[in-house]
Formats: sequence, structure tokens, C-alpha cells
Amino acid sequence: MLSARVASTAKDALLAALAVLLVSLTVGCTPSASPASSTPTPSVPPPAPAAAVPDIPRFSASLSERPALSAPAPVRLLIPELGIDVPVEAVGLDGQGRMALPADPAIAAWYRFGSAPASVAGSTVIAAHVDSLVYDIGPFAKLAGAAAGTRIEVTTADGAVYAFALASTEVVPKESVDWSAVFARDGSPRLTLVTCGGEFDYDARRYLSNVVVTASPIT
Amino acid sequence: MKKILVAALGAGALVAFAGAAPATAASADTAMLSVLHGVPDLTVDVYVNDELTLDDFAPGDLAGPLELPGGTYTVAITAADAADASSPAIGPIDLPLEAGVDYTAVAHLSEAGDPTATLFTNDTAQVAAGEGRLTVRHVAAAPAVDVLAGGTAVITALANPQEAKLDLAAGTVSAAVAATGTTDPVLGPADVEVAEGANTIVYAWGSLEGDNLDLAVQSVAVAGMHSAPDSIPAGSAGLVATNGPDSSAPVWGAVIGASLLAAAALIVGAARRRAAARAGR
Repeated sequence: MLSARVASTAKDALLAALAVLLVSLTVGCTPSASPASSTPTPSVPPPAPAAAVPDIPRFSASLSERPALSAPAPVRLLIPELGIDVPVEAVGLDGQGRMALPADPAIAAWYRFGSAPASVAGSTVIAAHVDSLVYDIGPFAKLAGAAAGTRIEVTTADGAVYAFALASTEVVPKESVDWSAVFARDGSPRLTLVTCGGEFDYDARRYLSNVVVTASPIT
Repeated sequence: MKKILVAALGAGALVAFAGAAPATAASADTAMLSVLHGVPDLTVDVYVNDELTLDDFAPGDLAGPLELPGGTYTVAITAADAADASSPAIGPIDLPLEAGVDYTAVAHLSEAGDPTATLFTNDTAQVAAGEGRLTVRHVAAAPAVDVLAGGTAVITALANPQEAKLDLAAGTVSAAVAATGTTDPVLGPADVEVAEGANTIVYAWGSLEGDNLDLAVQSVAVAGMHSAPDSIPAGSAGLVATNGPDSSAPVWGAVIGASLLAAAALIVGAARRRAAARAGR
């Protein structure tokens, strides 16, 4: 039980921090949020009875009180240095298990089943076509040459702006891309931008590589 | 109180912002245990191995998850004012918890209305990209039920204390519970959001006779439970290709000629389509 107690204490600190995060990031989401916005002091000991009772998180499981499942969606991606300023749409999968992208390369797509900028963990994935026969070359074509440190801003539906610094730009052959890593929902919060690039198969009408940009939050 | 509120808010924040990211997950060495209180009108204390673990646990509340080393734990549930675990209202029951597995122990009523407890194993097997798992558990003092989604029975003849589950496209399901063989809801319809890459567990609890049937919900997501899309097809024109249109063509003349012709046709077509697109804007 000792390990459980230790784990739950650490968890409480995390939860309290998250509660504050919740309050700072959402506007009027829940009226009961305000008491928690005062100083989070998870170390306040509970009034202990004879023996210390482990502090285990509890909440109402009532369906009607279930909190919203998803964090605010990204709606705009801005990379001033590259002249990229595009709207972002929430997308899922196409009929073939691939991430579904808008046809227009000037509209980026956020994978709505994955992490969002406000998520406590994981990769927020935003992708766009690099080009199209209909729409020509898109803004994401500039990603292939982007340098480390480039500032990237993502605006979410609640108006919050999240800033990231480009950490790496890779051109990875499609068969070698580790999609489970790109779409990971654990690990430290990060932004992953994806488009196509490299050589083109003129018969199959597809690029042979993906350009994968990773960026870390600027705190 | 404040602390509980903070914890509850924190848990809410986790659900709200983590997507399906788990707060904690059963590791190879530990089991995860959540506890749901589904006995109406009875605030209880929960003892684990004779230690008071949940004090004044209220009906409809979910506690946990607790990370516990694998092993068998003895759980006794007493009235909230009991001095110790010696005269439990439910149990003591033994919970064999296997490391690496996610469980929910539910204190609830039997079909006949007697307090009891059931240990459920939460299915955390991987689900396909775009899908979520919906588990329904009957822990109410009520006869067997059908579960209706959008008015159609998707689970039939579910009896206390059984569960049924299915993987389906993530999204909101309008769920209702009706006596088996009927479509007149005794519970719901209510919107249940089935999260992608997670197990959304809905409990029907309370008592039909006591007119206090209710729905409780729990989300379980562990690392590796969701699936990633297969790929991101993000270009189809070759306009920024690092190779030329003919660089991949074989050496034989005839084929080269055909390729060049095809490429020329495509380029002309592209130019026309682009022009058309511009004109159309």
C-alpha cells in the first residue's frame, strides 16, 4: 500500500497542476473551476482519522457530469519566417485508414483523434498536401527547408496561442515513417507537421517520402 | 473537500486534455484498480486488506485508478460509520489482480436487490484507428436488458452482473437501456461519447423497483491501446519533387518516348486544370 500511497501523492500534485492548467486555458468551462484556481496546495494533509487514508482521486461517474473529452481544436497555423499562415481543419481517417487531408494544400488538417496543443502529453499532428494539380504548390512546401529554432504558432478554437520551436526536419521514405511515434499520445507535448516531399513516382502519382517536422513547446 | 474538488477537477482535466492519453497505465509489475460505488443511498467505507482506503465513499462516485502490485487483495465494504472492517455490508471478497491488467471493482446491487461486489477486467486491447470500444455493464437491481443504440438493439439479454462490449466508430452514440425484448427505455436515451482509442465503460446501476436507475461512465485508455493512421498521403502533383519526370523511366527508347508523352500530357492537363481552377475562383 505504501507504493500506492506514494504514487497517489505524486498523482495529486500532477492533478492539481492540471486543474490550474484547466482553469487558465478554458473560459468558463465549469463554474466549479473557480475554487481550484486559488493556490493549489495538494500537500494539505486531510484530517487524518486513526490511520492515514490514502488520497485516491474520486469523482462523480455520472454520465451527465462527464467532462468534455476533447481539448480545443487547432484552427490556425502560423510560421512567420516561412510565410505560412493557414487555417486548420479537424480530420479523421479516409476510407483506407490514412489520415484524411483537405484537397486544398492551403488548408491544413489536424488529426482529431490524437493530442491537441492543450493536451498534457503526446504529439499534435497537423498535415497538409504539399501540392496538387488543381491548387498548385502549397504553403507546406516550405517546410522541407525550415531551420531548427523556427517559431511556429498554433491557435486553438478557444483563442489560445501555443508557440513551438522547430526541433528537427526530416525527409523520411514513406515505408520507413514510424507512424505510431508520429501519432503517439504519450511523451512530452509536441507538435508534428507532416507533408510530402523528396522524389516523386510519376507513374503512381505519389511522393516517395514524407517531410516530418517536429517542434517543442516554447515555455 | 477542497482537495477532493481539486482532484476531481484534475481528473476532469486529464480526460479533457489528454485525449486518450492515460494518466497512468498498468505496467508489467502493477495492476490498475478503479472502484465504482453503485449501491444507491448508502455511503460506505472501503477497506483493502483491513486498511481504510476510501472514506465516506458516495454512491455514483468512481475512485482511482490505484496502481497496485499484482496479487490478491481482500476488500470489505462497510457502513460509513464503521470503526473497522469486521462487519462489512459487502464482502469481504478477494480480488485477484494480475500485473499489467486494468480492473474496476464495482459495489452494486444484485438483480434481486442485495448489495454485492463484482470485479470486472477492463479490455485494453488495441483498437483500430478511428474506433473506440464501448463496454456496457449491468450492475442494477433489474432483470436482463437490451442496450439500444440509435433505437436499435446492439446488445441483447444482458443480465446482472454481466458485461458486453463492441468496437465501433468513435463518436457520440445515443444509448438507451430497455427490458430485454422491448424498445421502451427504462434508462436513456442518453448521448455517450465513445472516445477513440479508449474503452468507454457505461454502467447501468441502481434499482428498477427503487426508481433510481442511473448511468455511470468510466474511460479507460492505456498506452498502446490506440492505433495510428497507416500513412499521410500529402501530395499528388510532383511539383516540388527532387527528381525529374523522366529520371525514373527505364532506359529503353520506346518506353522513354511513352513516358515523355505521358508526362507532357499530364503537364498540359495540369496547366489546364490550374487555369480552370483559377478561372473558377
